[in-house]
Amino acid sequence: MTETALDIRAISKSYGDYQAVRSLSLAVPQGAVYGLLGPNGAGKTTSIRMILNIIAPDEGSISILGRPNTERGSLDRIGYLPEERGLYKKMQVRRVLRFLGQLKGLTAREADRRIDEWMERFSLKTAEKDWGQSKIDELSRGMQQKVQFIGTLLHDPELVILDEPFSGLDPINAQALKDTVVDLKKRGKSVIFSTHMMENAERLCDSVCIIARGGKVLDGTVAGVKQEHGGNNVALALAGGGGAELVNRVVADHKMVERVDDSNRFFEIALQKDADPQALLRRLIDAGAKVQRFELVQPSLHQIFLEKVGATGVEMGMSGNG
Amino acid sequence: MDKLWVVIKREYLERVRSRWFIFTTIFGPVFFGAVTVLPTYMARRTINSGRVASIHILDATGTGLGHRVADRLAQQQHTGGAGGFGGGRFARGASTAPQSIPSVVEDLNPPRLAAAESIATKDVMTGVSPGYLVLDSATVTGYKARYAGRNASAVGQIEEMQTAIRQSIIASRLEGAGIRPDRIDSLTDVKVDLSSVRLDERGRGDSGIVSFIFGAIVAFMLYMMIMLYGQNVMRSVLEEKTTRVAEVIMASVKPDILLAGKILGVGAVGLTQQIVWVGSAAGFITYGAVMAKAMGMPQMQGMTFPTVPPSLLLSLVLFFVLGYVLYSAMFAAVGAMVGSQEEVQQAAQPVILMLVASIIFFEPVLLNPTGTLAVVTSIIPFTAPVIMPVRMTTIQVPPLELAGSLIGLAVTCFVVIWAAARIYRIGLLMTGKRPNLPELMRWIKYA
Repeated sequence: MTETALDIRAISKSYGDYQAVRSLSLAVPQGAVYGLLGPNGAGKTTSIRMILNIIAPDEGSISILGRPNTERGSLDRIGYLPEERGLYKKMQVRRVLRFLGQLKGLTAREADRRIDEWMERFSLKTAEKDWGQSKIDELSRGMQQKVQFIGTLLHDPELVILDEPFSGLDPINAQALKDTVVDLKKRGKSVIFSTHMMENAERLCDSVCIIARGGKVLDGTVAGVKQEHGGNNVALALAGGGGAELVNRVVADHKMVERVDDSNRFFEIALQKDADPQALLRRLIDAGAKVQRFELVQPSLHQIFLEKVGATGVEMGMSGNG
Repeated sequence: MDKLWVVIKREYLERVRSRWFIFTTIFGPVFFGAVTVLPTYMARRTINSGRVASIHILDATGTGLGHRVADRLAQQQHTGGAGGFGGGRFARGASTAPQSIPSVVEDLNPPRLAAAESIATKDVMTGVSPGYLVLDSATVTGYKARYAGRNASAVGQIEEMQTAIRQSIIASRLEGAGIRPDRIDSLTDVKVDLSSVRLDERGRGDSGIVSFIFGAIVAFMLYMMIMLYGQNVMRSVLEEKTTRVAEVIMASVKPDILLAGKILGVGAVGLTQQIVWVGSAAGFITYGAVMAKAMGMPQMQGMTFPTVPPSLLLSLVLFFVLGYVLYSAMFAAVGAMVGSQEEVQQAAQPVILMLVASIIFFEPVLLNPTGTLAVVTSIIPFTAPVIMPVRMTTIQVPPLELAGSLIGLAVTCFVVIWAAARIYRIGLLMTGKRPNLPELMRWIKYA
């Protein structure tokens, strides 16, 4: 199991003068959940499309499970859920899924067997109603998302690529997706997902790669990345009311605090390197704050992301959708 | 290849299963039949509705010509029609219709004609009479007569009146020359049925009119099929693009295979429909004569399904296939270029115009299938798929022209597919504004 699921070597892609991806290299070990993180327009979708051989890189090479992705049949081992999702609206659910399965090399019979399995699992086929005979546009949005997800996994791919999988999912489907990702990992499959929602990445990923403006900013295991960027971070929560303005002034004091992320009910504070967290706590209490939580923490991926990429990392991308 | 088959199968089955396909396949022939037969039927019916006979005749000739005309009209009413097509006879319903009112004949002195005419005009305007016919000295000498009425634009009725007047004049002249009145009818009742036969160098021939009609039908069918199914491909591409299915599919198959599968699958649907239509047409013509006779349509008897030599049939199929592929590839590129249903009609216009051009040239070519226009438009690859079959069904096209046309079409097909596939590949993933021509060129270059 030391084989790499995906090995990208120095791929670049330009559209005219615009360089969408520049010399990007990364390796995804088999059985890993890997996060491809970056702001909109960072080159995530372009990179994914190159992995899937939808577009060819100008330079560099990509291999999937040890074989070049241009090789016949190598794409059959990938399952792909694009960011912009959609299915044939006027087609019956079962026929759509059978079509998608057959495109990945399944026989119609095998596809049908798995469709039943998955539809039962996602309660699209129950004792009282089988949605398989319904047309796609008769389904609710949530159900359509489930169907799309089944289509991605029907051929039991070794490598699953999910582009912004959580966007537009309701909490129930988001949970189902998360469970499935964990389940895939347990079964030794590799999962890559791109997102700009760091909370999800932090919870799910073994490793991450942050890209911005088409290039890699950093990569590594989540634990490693955090350790490397472990600074002087404090998580702070206050009990309601009481000298909010004064507290805010303390928190925003740049002699002590490098950056503060105010999430309304929760602050994530990056202290200056030599600042003493105890001093901050003392000053907060003096200011009349009712401290509910005060914890020395590792920076969240979100914080690292902001620090590394910053506001300047966001550019309008050529891909137009991420 | 397996994946190509999967794509073809989906395109084919989803369409063939659709209600739209079943409807058009079954009702298409019914519709075409209605469109071609009904107007003739209606026209014939109107003639026999008795309205012509009840017109007002103002006779200022002083020779009793008006009464002769009125008699002729009434006679035609009974025997059914003015001849020519013999069409009156099939409208059997008309002869059982209530007895028509005979025409009112008014003998006038020429000076009083103007006054009588203005009264007659009022009658027509108030609906008392459907129209009035003016006969004067010019009618006797110069064959001129005037008719004014609500039905003045009905060709069949005017024709009928003309025949009545002509025969009346001839009859009165024959009488003047001393022919016995009872012989006149049999002398003037002349009907010529001109049948034409097409000859080729092997001497075999169909009835000329049949091959003319056959040519027109073939051309029109080809045009319709290419237009209908070409745009079907376009909509299918656009659907995949707008619903974003395209990206999922392209993660499994190469866009070229997707495009090929789409064109082949939709083409197979078109072919299926044609087979059903041609089959039912053959059946209709073979057994239709019996039916037509039962319905009282004698002119159907002369119609036989034209004997189509296999070589001609093969070339027809070849032209259809190449023409369809050429246009559907262009339509597919258009579908991939645009981002929405609203844009697509506008963007498709250049392609549609090229196709419409072939239908514009179709009539002059049909009338003169050996002329320069015919030769040129049957060589230009974009009009050839419709025009060449027209010529082939009406004349023997020189083999060199035929080969040139086919090769030109095939080469153009190849180039267009190559360019369209590139536009398609890029266009499918693009969002935002429609590319202009230089941008399109860049797509083709960089894809």
